[in-house]
Amino acid sequence: MAEDLLVAAAALIFLGIMFGVLRLILGRTLVDRVVAVDMLTVVSISLIALYAHVAGRFIYLDVALVYGVLSFLGVLAIARYLEQGL
Amino acid sequence: MIELLVYLLCASILVSGILAVGVKGLMAALASAGLAGLFAAVCYEVLGAPDVAMTQASIGSGLAMLIFLYAIRRTAGAED
Repeated sequence: MAEDLLVAAAALIFLGIMFGVLRLILGRTLVDRVVAVDMLTVVSISLIALYAHVAGRFIYLDVALVYGVLSFLGVLAIARYLEQGL
Repeated sequence: MIELLVYLLCASILVSGILAVGVKGLMAALASAGLAGLFAAVCYEVLGAPDVAMTQASIGSGLAMLIFLYAIRRTAGAED
């Protein structure tokens, strides 16, 4: 039962990655692409957390933590650039 | 199962890299390159190197993107 739930979670995560990359390829404006990259970052963080649970090594969660902080900064920098700031 | 995960991640890295080369506009290319680094970090983690993944996440995605933004701002600027 728990195994099925993990497989379903992985399938959903890869569905999310697929649609995010599709949006990145098709994206009409730059803002579409930046939001797609931000969404893919969040989905990848959930993938890292899922793998940390599957592998049973919770030191892997540190990577998700670092990525969560830094992806926020990257998207913020791009948004600031689009507003002609930086 | 884990092998399938690694293959899917490698396909994602390939798609992001091709997109970073082929897409129109500097900022979209920068976002795609950051995405390739993101998938590379997840791939390193799945292959069992969390320290490499953490360095890739902090340097490759955080610092490199800021330096690229600064360089684009100081030189020509994005076309779009």
